[in-house]
This record gives sequence, structure tokens and C-alpha cells, in this order.
Amino acid sequence: MPPPNHNKNRQQKNQNRGDPRQKKCDFCEKDVVYIDYKDYPAMKPFIDYFGNIRARYYSGVCLKHQKMLRLSVERARFLGMLAYRK
Amino acid sequence: MTFPIHLYRFLALLVPVRGFGPHGFPTNSMPVHTPSSEDTRIYECAVLYPSPINQKEENELLKAIDEIFAEAKATVILKDAWGERGLAYKIGGFEEANVLIAYYEMDPSKIKEIDRQLSILKGVLRHLIVKPVKNYDIAPMADRLDQWKEQVRVDRETRVREKEEKKLKQVVDKVKRAAPKKKVVDDKPMPTETVSQGVDKLISDDLNI
Repeated sequence: MPPPNHNKNRQQKNQNRGDPRQKKCDFCEKDVVYIDYKDYPAMKPFIDYFGNIRARYYSGVCLKHQKMLRLSVERARFLGMLAYRK
Repeated sequence: MTFPIHLYRFLALLVPVRGFGPHGFPTNSMPVHTPSSEDTRIYECAVLYPSPINQKEENELLKAIDEIFAEAKATVILKDAWGERGLAYKIGGFEEANVLIAYYEMDPSKIKEIDRQLSILKGVLRHLIVKPVKNYDIAPMADRLDQWKEQVRVDRETRVREKEEKKLKQVVDKVKRAAPKKKVVDDKPMPTETVSQGVDKLISDDLNI
């Protein structure tokens, strides 16, 4: 009996998953200059269930806006608008 | 992709760059709001104070905050009281707090003193002073969150309704498919000529026998 080809399964999985390089920054598309720490609806899609900021690899946010997002999330956390950890 | 710092220095001669950050990158990517005069700057101040609180204590606290800014000769641009808000975590034993957002125009050298005074002011849970960016839309944001919450609720209800309708449709289709098909009976009356011909044929067959 031939051994199972795990590599093939992995390839199939990768094919189903979209290419992360193809993702576009949501903020760049809207020409965002500043992410407001009071604007919870703008930050919410980039925060996971546990209150962590989603990685750029998954969210597709560019580095410039990821830094802005981090700053605004940290400010919102400090003022108790967002949780540090759920 | 990074370029040598000399390139930025050279570009600085061509483009009016305000300055360079610690790593040599230009820092004018987020310019601050231009105030009315050169000596002043616009600041946004967020203050968190506990809830529930007596009306008297609240008035005193707000008065004290106003006095701190008045001492620094700050002019109020806008005051946006959010009112009672739930906190994401307990601050000073309180699960709810009142939020006050205010925009002031003042001398930047007095910010440190204001920050110090707010940090030691009794009754203030947290405070934050930030510089809004250039062309920042200074407008009350208290209602925006409520509007968003309402929109989210409506969207969720619509999604649930659509899902239920889809399920109901699927069940109806399934029942229709499972039901036995009725034979299509042709209710059209036969033409009299055909009937009479048939009868004649039958009679003639019987007579032949």
C-alpha cells in the first residue's frame, strides 16, 4: 500500500485558499488619512474575537494603515472603548 | 523598499517637508490641523469620569476641568458629551463611565501642565490629549455609534428573515417534489362525429360476430 501523499492535500488546500498577495488594503481604497480611535465601526473588522489586531497577512492592510490602526486601537483600549483581552 | 537617507534629504530641498523622524523618514505624512494663529494648535481632549455620579459632583468636576483649560487660555471649539457608556473592562471599579470629548485651541507649551493637572484631578478615571490631523472633521460623534448599532441590528434581522424564507422555500419545494404526480386527465369533450363513428364500429363488430 503506497503511503498517503500529504503534500498533495496541502497543495489542494492552498489552491482553495485565496492568494494573500492579491488582497487590497481597505483603507487605501477609501483614501483614509487618519483612523479615529472613537470610530469603533471602522476598527471592528480588523479586530478578532479575543480583541487582538488581525495580522496584515490575513486582513490585507498596508503597513502605513496598519500602524495607524494600531495607534487608534491602543488609544481606544486605553479609554476603555475596546478590550485588551476578552 | 528603503532608500538611503540622502535621497530623502535631497527630496526635502524640492518638496516642503516639515521634518524627519528618528529613522530618517519624512514626518509630514500626517500633518496637523492648521490653527488660526501660528502660536496655537488644536487639541482633542477625551475625559472619562465615573457613572453613576451625583449631579452636583458632575457639575463640580466639569467646572474644574474647564478651569484647568481656562488657566492655559484655551479656547473651546466644540464640546461633545457622549454621556453614559459601557466600558470594555473595569476602570477604577466602574463598569460604566461618562465620556466627554472636547476640542481646544491653545498654546502647545501648556499641554504638559494640563496633562499633569488632569492626571491628579479627583474624579477623572482616564484622560487623553491628541492632535487631530489636518482637515479633521470636528463634529459630534456621540450619535454615530448609536446609528451604527441600529444599522447592525437591522442588517442582522434582515439576514435572519432571508435565511428563514430560503429555508421555508426549500421545504415547500421538497414537499412538492415528494408528492405523487397526478395523471393529467383530458377533460375536453370528444367531438360528436368521432363518438358516433366509434359506436357504429362497435355495433358493426358485434353484428359480424
